[in-house]
Amino acid sequence: MNDLNVVGIAQLAVSRPPSRLACLGLGSCVAVILYDPLARIGGIVHILLPKAPNHHDRDEKYADTGTKKLVEAVIREGATKARVYARLVGGAEMFSAINIAIANIGRDNIFEARRVLHNYGIRIVAEETAGKRGRSVYFDLDTGKVLVQTAFAGEKTI
Amino acid sequence: MADEKQPEVLGIISEFANIGAGSAATALSHLLDVDLMNDVTTCEILPLDKVAEWLGGGNQIVAGTYTYLCGELKSGILVVLPQDSAVSLLNHLTRDEIDLSSLTELQKSALREVGNICLCWYLIAVSKMVRIDMIPAPPDATVDYLGAVLNVPLATLGAKVDTVIAVHTSFKALDRQFDGYFLMLPDESTLKIILERMGEHYR
Repeated sequence: MNDLNVVGIAQLAVSRPPSRLACLGLGSCVAVILYDPLARIGGIVHILLPKAPNHHDRDEKYADTGTKKLVEAVIREGATKARVYARLVGGAEMFSAINIAIANIGRDNIFEARRVLHNYGIRIVAEETAGKRGRSVYFDLDTGKVLVQTAFAGEKTI
Repeated sequence: MADEKQPEVLGIISEFANIGAGSAATALSHLLDVDLMNDVTTCEILPLDKVAEWLGGGNQIVAGTYTYLCGELKSGILVVLPQDSAVSLLNHLTRDEIDLSSLTELQKSALREVGNICLCWYLIAVSKMVRIDMIPAPPDATVDYLGAVLNVPLATLGAKVDTVIAVHTSFKALDRQFDGYFLMLPDESTLKIILERMGEHYR
């Protein structure tokens, strides 16, 4: 197995083959995954909340600032924006009874990430989002494939 | 939280959490109608992002019951049962074969109830101690990756909370070992009130 780099909450990673990036246990969190298939550069940001307040601690924690930072980071590493495509994973609704009171953070995270990607003109080729189940993501930089494991519901490659 | 006071604070919080966990264990033993031997209870004060690691990694499947306080004190509370403990408990309660991947409505309800009773009795004990009413919202339960379960309190409280009072309790019942985790996520002012009130017991 190639070396696996686990990207925790509010963290960002940009990498090249042969490494693999992973986000374990995504609930309402969203993993935004960018990949340039020709330069073979890819990155993940593991976001927690949709919108950054005015005085925030880490850009990577929020969908708007985190996605922006990821796009800039992969381009800085040598990816070409026109070739970069995105995949989104996560944004589930974990405790639906409680979410009635506190709004659906997962859904807001997805919307916000989509909006930022749209502004950059980066296309989203696949999504494995929403629902009620948590997910784990393994991103193989070599093949560009993303393996999504869902609790009790097997795995899927996107 | 002031670092130089850390050992003393941990002592106070351990006392607080131990009494809560003991009360929850008593309630659970009534619910299951079995004798329950409390083995060890350990308490830690952790930053939010270290919790998954402390519980043994975000990629394991757990049963989690989550609620929050809506009274004077502001806090989230999460009861986490590892997969095997949850299966045994449900199996004993419902007398069914338990498959966590496809719980029936009744089994889900039983799981929610176990979590609810544990966290309510935890709250009853600690609220008596600090003499402040703690009113929990109706809880909800789910079975999923630990990381995913922890997302919800992180996302809803993440901006205001950075301290988690984490209790691991392990007990013997039904000829086997059970593990349970209580995570209390008080916001800063609530933590201060708890420490003040608990400090009075020491003086």
